[in-house]
Amino acid sequence: MLLGLDVGGTHTDVVIIDKTGIVATDKVKTNHNDLLETVNRGIENAVKNVNRDDIERVNLSTTLSTNAIVEGKTENVAVLVSAGPGVDPANYRLGEYYYSITGSIDHRGTEILPLNTKETDSALKAAKKAGCKVYAAITKFSTRNPAQENRLCEKIGSAADFITPGHMLSGRLSFPRRVATAYYNSAVWRQFNAFAESVEKSINGFGIKANLNILKADGGTMPLAVSKGLPVESILSGPAASVMGIIALCQVTRDSVLLDIGGTTTDIAIFASGAPIIEPDGISLNSAATLVRALRTKSIGIGGDSVLRVRDGGVVSVGPDRLGPSLADGGAAVALTDAFNFMKIDSHGDVNASAAGIAGLAKNNGMKPNDLAKKAIDCAVGAICDAVRRLVDEINMKPVYTIHELLEGKKVAPEQVYVMGGPAKAFSKRLADALRLPVNVPQNYAVANAIGAALARTTMYIELLADTEKGRMIIPDIGVSRDIPAGYSLEEAEADAKKYLLGHMKKTDVADRHIHAEILDSASFNMVQGYDTTGRNIRVRCQVKPGVLHEYNDVLRNLC
Amino acid sequence: MLKAKNRLGIIFFPAYDWAISPTHPERQERLLYTQDQLKEEGVFDIDGIGEYKPEVATVQDVERVHFCFPDVESVCTESHLISAGGAITAAKLVMEKKEDRAFALVRPPGHHAMKVVHGARGFCNINIEAVMVEYIREHYGQKRIAIVDTDCHHGDGSQDIYWNDPNTLYISIHQDGRTLYPGSGFVDEMGGPNAIGKTVNIPLPPQTSDEGFLYVLEKVILPILDDFKPDLIINSAGQDNHYTDPITNMRFSARGYARLNELLRPDIAVLEGGYSIQGALPYVNLGIVLAMAGVDYSHVREPDYNSDAMKQNPVITQYIKKVGQDVLDRYRNSRNFVMRGMPGNYMVRKKPIFYDTDGIRENQVESVMICNECAGILKIESLSSVNPLCLCIEVPLGACDRCRDEGYRILKEGKQKNIYAYIQLINRRDREYLRF
Repeated sequence: MLLGLDVGGTHTDVVIIDKTGIVATDKVKTNHNDLLETVNRGIENAVKNVNRDDIERVNLSTTLSTNAIVEGKTENVAVLVSAGPGVDPANYRLGEYYYSITGSIDHRGTEILPLNTKETDSALKAAKKAGCKVYAAITKFSTRNPAQENRLCEKIGSAADFITPGHMLSGRLSFPRRVATAYYNSAVWRQFNAFAESVEKSINGFGIKANLNILKADGGTMPLAVSKGLPVESILSGPAASVMGIIALCQVTRDSVLLDIGGTTTDIAIFASGAPIIEPDGISLNSAATLVRALRTKSIGIGGDSVLRVRDGGVVSVGPDRLGPSLADGGAAVALTDAFNFMKIDSHGDVNASAAGIAGLAKNNGMKPNDLAKKAIDCAVGAICDAVRRLVDEINMKPVYTIHELLEGKKVAPEQVYVMGGPAKAFSKRLADALRLPVNVPQNYAVANAIGAALARTTMYIELLADTEKGRMIIPDIGVSRDIPAGYSLEEAEADAKKYLLGHMKKTDVADRHIHAEILDSASFNMVQGYDTTGRNIRVRCQVKPGVLHEYNDVLRNLC
Repeated sequence: MLKAKNRLGIIFFPAYDWAISPTHPERQERLLYTQDQLKEEGVFDIDGIGEYKPEVATVQDVERVHFCFPDVESVCTESHLISAGGAITAAKLVMEKKEDRAFALVRPPGHHAMKVVHGARGFCNINIEAVMVEYIREHYGQKRIAIVDTDCHHGDGSQDIYWNDPNTLYISIHQDGRTLYPGSGFVDEMGGPNAIGKTVNIPLPPQTSDEGFLYVLEKVILPILDDFKPDLIINSAGQDNHYTDPITNMRFSARGYARLNELLRPDIAVLEGGYSIQGALPYVNLGIVLAMAGVDYSHVREPDYNSDAMKQNPVITQYIKKVGQDVLDRYRNSRNFVMRGMPGNYMVRKKPIFYDTDGIRENQVESVMICNECAGILKIESLSSVNPLCLCIEVPLGACDRCRDEGYRILKEGKQKNIYAYIQLINRRDREYLRF
């Protein structure tokens, strides 16, 4: 049995699922001043009639880290960076305690210039004096050679309660993203850990002995133990939970579009052969780009409460803003929902208020009410369709680096649309006509996010880099570094990537016994000096991709 | 957050699955470390810098420029069409004002590919800048275009293609042809009879440093550009003048390249050669990208850069000043050129051409009609070790009636003679492209 908890901006949803289907659901209002209280309330209601011993896994999606960062309620971090030549690291400054230290490592991981000891000491002294208790250490190309980052960590030593070494966040390259990600990771560390530990206690208090997992923005989970060192991975997991919910509810297998139409916005996600598409580099938060892997979603300002306006010449616009609820919901401004009500496509809330509002707005602008409502709906549908097409185009225009991929690469071509959210039903026929695709409005979408959270499996992503000339293989994210022989091949590298990835996941206690690691891509380059081959540069990217827990695959049929 | 002063589009296509041969300088690994450096520096996250996928150039795009024998498909592979397509994508971004500038970081290169193509020379099969330039003219109108070639090797292919075109100014700075492949590009190579002065060659001595390159740029190239007043400036951004390049002898640095780019302000840059793939390319490309975007590049520096060791010998400085003055004088005097003969007559030159990469020998007789109205009808007879005698006729863009009619007369005559294995006609004026 699984327990999924999605702590959202307004509501917290709880769902309990066993292999026959949904056992219990609950929805409570989120109390932002006390998230633990919210979680307790949600669990309490949901587990009333459930045998708590049967719960084997609790998955939690929380806005705690996101809110702390967005609201700027985070702890001071001492950031130690060493950038070497290139863009001036002063451009990536975050927080007040940011120290740049001379030192340099090149793109192959060769140390060019050692860390300046004097500068390091004076930075540490200043940070200590400022009272910083959490640190972040980031050096350029640390994913190729973490030695300088490790040295910084040693130097910081017991002055810190917690240090984020940049290379442990991801094997991907991007010094600026590594700086931002390490900074945020340390900045939310204390709050997140306090919260996670109290949730763990509270679960135990309910008599649930299951493992606690934290949802990530890529639609997968990480075990609590991992999340304690990587709290930043818990940011922006909300949209991912909904996407995973739809996968569970609708058994998505083909290229598809998911539209989550709310009051203010429509969130769009795209699936390729049933798998959600991942943001290629990492998600942005507070306008800083990070290395946090996330599902690729796009949000536009069209929702049920989007306000209707008429400009000169009878041009009708919808959104992108809202001025409170629609007339149907007791608001003051004519909104999209009112247009649907007027056209009798929907009958939501106070239908008479909608009719009067549309008629009034039409009269003021010398239009027929029917024309106004029709134009408003066309405008909203058009805006959603444009955004879907643009997103699909962007995905298909993603740069590739081989001739094979450029000429033969797969293109995403959606064959199915799933619509969820309040106005979903009202929109469905119009969207089907405009996109010329079958549209499906799933049942149970009200708790899709909690279902997604409950069923999400543990995911992981690593990058392996082997340099046979140097005789080293490293997987920076999980701290693997070992000697390799000159004959180390691409096949061995692929096997090693899978082996270390799965080994690491088993170590951190993963319940799913059917994990499948896949190679995303791999390449081996001959390194040539003069006219001689001196070695091979091998790169492998490997992941356990987001999806529904294998053991619960059968339950899906029962959810629709 | 970093913000680009100029919006810059980068078309990055390293062709990780293509090489001339496994240990050839033009191999899969060539742009690997450049990509690592650009990614680690977060270049694509800078506000105003975007990465784009190249399109694939079509056979028509190539046939607008080249006479390929026996045909386009036989002399160039998909990798060349993608590389040229990358340059076209760069041009579109700029011409359609989606970006202020664009940099096609693509391979393989193209500036040794000449008007007639029987195979590969100097690692080049088709001239990707020329394919791009003629794409621009076909779709966005006749433009005055300046190509500034900063590759260490003389761009003899680009020079050959634009030899007779008065609307294209081709300027090349390169290591002196007496000391390096392809052995051409001397100051007296100044263009054909209808375009005298529109080819400018600035051969520099081995061991020229930043000082010499920047001197030539400021004192020679920029004044000539001011005089020519191009609608577009294109940089053939070869990176083999770098002091670590394994096949050349110059002492140019990454920061020098960046400064050159900052002063030149090209609308479009296209990667050409550059084979110091670990020691130079990552830093030179980073410098060029930052300079094109208008972002501070003063911290860009090679790990082994030693400014004292790179100082320019005063003898070299003196020599470069002399060459510069000579080039300027020749450019200024070119408009007084009177020795070209009467309009309506042909100027004929004979050219032996060696294709080093493919080991092909070719002999050409090139005839261009002297004309006051247009670039003049061009006729080339070509015989090579891989193809029998071929006839090439080009009616240039903006051709006058006489030159156009003359082109069709040559075509008719060529067919009647029955001695040509292949005949190809490029009529840019009426967009007629024929092959026999």
